[in-house]
Amino acid sequence: MLTIRNLRKDFGSLRALDHVSLEVEANSIVGLIGPNGSGKTTLFNVVSGFYEKDGGEIFFKGERIDGLTPDEIAKKGLCRTFQVAKAPEKLTVLENMMLAAKNQTGENPLSAVFRRPRVSTFEKTNLERAMELLELLQLLDLKNEYAANLSGGQKKLLSLGRVFMLDPDLILLDEPTAGVNLTLTMELLKVIKELQKKEGKSFFIIEHSMKVISDICDKVFVLNFGKTIAEGTPEEIRQDEQVLEAYLSGASGGLPREFETG
Amino acid sequence: MPLINFLIYFLTMIGIYSVLAMSLNFQVGFTGLINFGQVAFFCIGAYTSSLLATKAGAPIIVGFLGGMALSGLFGYIISIPTKSLKADYWAIATLAGGEVVRLIALNEQELTAGPFGVMTIPQPLRWLFSKDTYPLFYLLLVCACVAIIYLVLSLLTNSPFGRDLKAIRDEEDLCLSLGKNVRKLKLQAMVIAGVVAGLAGALFAHYITYISPENFQPIETFLMWAMIIVGGRGNHLGAILGAVVIQLFNISTRFIGGYVPFGSDVMSALRMVIIGVLIVLFLLYRPEGLIKESKKVYD
Repeated sequence: MLTIRNLRKDFGSLRALDHVSLEVEANSIVGLIGPNGSGKTTLFNVVSGFYEKDGGEIFFKGERIDGLTPDEIAKKGLCRTFQVAKAPEKLTVLENMMLAAKNQTGENPLSAVFRRPRVSTFEKTNLERAMELLELLQLLDLKNEYAANLSGGQKKLLSLGRVFMLDPDLILLDEPTAGVNLTLTMELLKVIKELQKKEGKSFFIIEHSMKVISDICDKVFVLNFGKTIAEGTPEEIRQDEQVLEAYLSGASGGLPREFETG
Repeated sequence: MPLINFLIYFLTMIGIYSVLAMSLNFQVGFTGLINFGQVAFFCIGAYTSSLLATKAGAPIIVGFLGGMALSGLFGYIISIPTKSLKADYWAIATLAGGEVVRLIALNEQELTAGPFGVMTIPQPLRWLFSKDTYPLFYLLLVCACVAIIYLVLSLLTNSPFGRDLKAIRDEEDLCLSLGKNVRKLKLQAMVIAGVVAGLAGALFAHYITYISPENFQPIETFLMWAMIIVGGRGNHLGAILGAVVIQLFNISTRFIGGYVPFGSDVMSALRMVIIGVLIVLFLLYRPEGLIKESKKVYD
């Protein structure tokens, strides 16, 4: 589904991504872990077109996508969320959801004025789907609240909701569960797994909690100083000497929180 | 009778500026496009329509449509640099754009008669009315235009298109990540705003019947900004209310010179100062303006 070959990204003299190669297979959930500053979010930014790469190739569903703009990449079915959840502040939660629906007739100004019945039919369908998703994410009570008034965790949930609304084939999630309470995290993981099984979606997830990773990921890549230092099943990763060292070298001692199994 | 005539003039000007304020509000309040060259649309609409009607001898309606079309085209052109310029730098570019248009009107004498301006601009359906009743007819024409523009812009801003624009205003990167063609949407917004403001220009030219580059100084843009700051952004009614308040102040102070202790010279110099202070006060104590952006509530 997603193939990255020798991807390089420099910020001045800092090499943020150093010949990263990895593969996310169709219908799988793949994790991406690594210490702070190891290049995880940079990788997402390059893949989703927000940063320009300095070398290497990215293929999505067999097509080259490096060099395309973020919206073109999203239209091809590769969508990402942001580490710090973004939400248009003067749009309500429900409007945020409706915003994300793809191929809306009413997005064309001429149709918006002259083909209103058609537009409202589309709106109705999208509204139903948005309501269902909000219920799933436990945001239904807040549907008419401005997105700016949500808590950090709720904004994370909303960004997931928007992505589900958009319905892409591959979803890049940047710390989807940070700031979300445990019960709801468990719910979310269930939703993600279900989407993978029933609808054949693929996920590529940056996550710090090893518990989340072991729970849902089929495969994990570990990034350190912009290089992939390990890959394997969550179980293999947890026992990888190099990975432990990468995480421990900066820590004051003991096993880092990320490796607690909860 | 003079009072009635003045009132009609006053309301007509409010109507024309309402259209300009709604256009600016569509850019700033809904799409987040900081345009400091709004007067350019006004100028293009006015000059195109009056030149078509005088020099080219075209029917007035063709002048109106031509003015709107060319102003929309200018919206298209000025939106191109949004691709590579950040919001604040684009704002500076628009300021320059507005001046460029005025300077062309001033210096391209072959076409525009330069500083002498365009004179004896014909008025639509003038022969149907007497000298006394025509201003009233024109006021109704302007009101009809305000109503139509209000309706069309409301339909647009309440549609998925309007939702996209608001989302661009608040979180451009998010829109990109959701596959929205942000550039195209901004371009469409600028063309629409250009057509609307071009209409205001044509209405102005055929009302005043004489225009010169003097009418299109950058200070006009400043007045339109004052309107949407006072009235409220992201809200068409706010733009109209702002136009009422600022025009009320701007025009009335021309006539109270004899009644203030410091005389009319000082008063006219003070006018812009007072509007400036008004803007500061609003930004400090009521940043959302007189009428807030409304929330779309679903049940």
